[in-house]
Amino acid sequence: MSIFIDKAAQISIQQPLSNEWFTNPMQPTERLCKFSLPNFKQYLSPATSRRMGTALKCALSSALSCVPEEKRSNLDGILTGTGLGSIENTENFLLAMLQGEEGLSPSNFMQSTHNTIGSQIAIAFKCHGYNITYAHRGTSFDSALLNAIIKFKLKEFSSALVNGVDEMTEKYFQLFDQIGYWKDRSVTTDDIRNASSNGSFAGENSVSLLLTDQKSDDTLCEICDTELFYCPTDQRLKEYIQKLCKENDIHQIDAIVIGNNGDDENDKEYKRLCGFIEPSATPIIYKHLFGESFTMSGIGVYVGATCLKEGYVPAHLTMNNCQLNQLKSVLVLNHFKKLDYSITLLKSC
Amino acid sequence: MTEKIVITGYGIISSLGSGVEKTREALLKEEKSIGRVAHLCTKHTEIPCGEVKESDEELKHQLGIGNDVVITRTPLLALIALKEALETSKLTDQISTAFINGTTVGGMEKSEKYYNDFFEGKHTEYIAAHDCGAGTELVSHLFGRFDFMTTISTACSSAANSVILGADLIKTGRVDAAIVGGTESLSKFHLNGFNSLMILEHQPCRPFEKSNQGLNLGEGAGYIVIERESVAKARGAHILCELSGYANTCDAFHQTATSETSEGEYKAMTQALHKAHLETTDIDYINAHGTGTADNDLHESIALKRVFGEHIPPFSSTKSFTGHTTSAAGAVESVISILALQHGFIPANLGFSEPIEATGLIPVKKTIQKELNHVMTNSFGFGGNDSSCIFSKYQPS
Amino acid sequence: MDSLIQELKEEIIQSLNLEDMKPEDIDANAPLFGEGLGLDSIDALELIVLMERNYGIKLNNANEGKEIFKSIQVMADYISKNRTK
Repeated sequence: MSIFIDKAAQISIQQPLSNEWFTNPMQPTERLCKFSLPNFKQYLSPATSRRMGTALKCALSSALSCVPEEKRSNLDGILTGTGLGSIENTENFLLAMLQGEEGLSPSNFMQSTHNTIGSQIAIAFKCHGYNITYAHRGTSFDSALLNAIIKFKLKEFSSALVNGVDEMTEKYFQLFDQIGYWKDRSVTTDDIRNASSNGSFAGENSVSLLLTDQKSDDTLCEICDTELFYCPTDQRLKEYIQKLCKENDIHQIDAIVIGNNGDDENDKEYKRLCGFIEPSATPIIYKHLFGESFTMSGIGVYVGATCLKEGYVPAHLTMNNCQLNQLKSVLVLNHFKKLDYSITLLKSC
Repeated sequence: MTEKIVITGYGIISSLGSGVEKTREALLKEEKSIGRVAHLCTKHTEIPCGEVKESDEELKHQLGIGNDVVITRTPLLALIALKEALETSKLTDQISTAFINGTTVGGMEKSEKYYNDFFEGKHTEYIAAHDCGAGTELVSHLFGRFDFMTTISTACSSAANSVILGADLIKTGRVDAAIVGGTESLSKFHLNGFNSLMILEHQPCRPFEKSNQGLNLGEGAGYIVIERESVAKARGAHILCELSGYANTCDAFHQTATSETSEGEYKAMTQALHKAHLETTDIDYINAHGTGTADNDLHESIALKRVFGEHIPPFSSTKSFTGHTTSAAGAVESVISILALQHGFIPANLGFSEPIEATGLIPVKKTIQKELNHVMTNSFGFGGNDSSCIFSKYQPS
Repeated sequence: MDSLIQELKEEIIQSLNLEDMKPEDIDANAPLFGEGLGLDSIDALELIVLMERNYGIKLNNANEGKEIFKSIQVMADYISKNRTK
């Protein structure tokens, strides 16, 4: 049984619901890169969206844009990763509550729970299938993807939607700034290629991937497997990758998507990982275009899948700034503070 | 046929106290533990809750954690229950193990206290302790290493969904055992949130009662150790029962209301039965979601009638004992279901007097002794995230 | 009474985020829930918040709202009789 990424959609600082970033990317210049908003009215009626916060509207728009109407209610699952959920609503409720515990708006509270995003997608899709939300820091998206793959392998799924959604408010940005998450200046592509200081820059993302067990003309690539690790030894990672490549008849990994974000400590770990996994593979970078968030790894998978679909990696996405042609296999690496790790293997089809 | 998944350990803390023994005694004696809060700082002290008796300091003391350790209440509760789950299972480091935690409140209980201070550079150590995953990692740091770890947040069905993921991880051979469940502390944030939805009861809740006004919030944690049967047998583990069926579905109707036909709940229960290869008549007891709100209790009753027809098994909501422990509920109630199965009793649905007119269902009013073979437990969350699990007496393969 | 009705229409549009509506689009006698404006149970709770904040009327039970929120006209009648601010 094979699993394919049949369609994908993203909303971020880049041109929304578009692949423009692949050929003609926008270079972020802010420390906090907010969503470039699509025309919501194209996807959501004013009556539907009137109570919704930005993250929720973006999630619904990317999900609706990703899954054709006739496939929505028949999906076997909707799986969502979100590190912080709808924090705009959470903050609104929290701030009002700190003013006094009276007369609080239920709409903000209702949207503050992380599963609002996944369940609102289910409502929009009229989909009664498996529905789950992961909120596990930097591997929230990866957990959702892994869960979907498990269900395919158990033959319980033949199609599923996997989402990775996080927004970043001004206030939350300030809080993370207090604990050194961000640089005191904007991050450049050079920082991503050669980090030498601490901190990254913030992005917002809603990425939706449609997984199916059937290949179509639109299919981006095949997804072989995802695995999560907590504080793994190098040996364990090596063994897993060897086994994975063997099972999927891959003799050489062409490229490795890495989560370099300009933070020295973070980026060094990717260098170390690439060094023992497959030193000859070309590292693909993406966070210089999208920023950092708890679920940005979803964009990493999407970037890898898009490169496989196009058959090459444009120079602006590689570590060495050289285009890579003849792309057949891509490994997507993700780690969160050297605690949680995920590995995803994609191959062309 | 795929290999069985067995339960080899369990741990619990709630307003009834810590530990499975204490919980069993309290259920048998019909102890009442819902009342005025002592630790939660809120203006709404008129609203009763099922609060855990110990303060953060007392919990830290019990766990041997220094007072200076940065930890919020949600992971503290988790540690108490997790410790018991691991001790009862006698699980060793040699077995590849996942830790799957359900929570929604996360570190909010500290964030709401220090929020304004954060911006002045005070208590900033709690900023990174806010998100749901932070608590799971804190538990892990203090406890030792797991091979796999994640956090599920589907509001009131979070813990039930972690049981489901754990089982699927074992079935696909990714791990041999999993510690699954959830934890939630009370917070001013969600107390006020539920209050803004006007679904909080101002007296001890009475699930499935005719004139229902609402629920009581509770806090606590529960974990069960689930394991591949062959692994449990090979290490000579004491098998408490087996996880025979489970399902996760979505009502896909409204964020806080249930569809007229209770589609999601109906599907969760029927699919769980199907997975367990059981008939409706095999179920001996249902630990209902039974929050005490008019919407939940009416719709759960409608779903029960759709699934079980005229022969609805004995059912009760133990939220009348513990309050609604939200993200932990699926685990707290799984532990209670396992205790019921193991010791042959059905816990009471406290406070019930008159049935809901439209459905007329009557829960078990007094705790009774009864031999049980199969127990179903329901967890239905905001957004229609509905899950059901079935625990059965262990029958060796 | 007319000015209270106008005021209520504006407040409802704002507090329920009925972005595309203008006060003149709302018929004071049309039902707010179901077929009329198509509001739901959460909107009812938002209206309870609005009544307390703007008019000092406190409802303790969401069910009491059902009668009061039948239409803007009914709501205005209730407010003018029971307001404390």
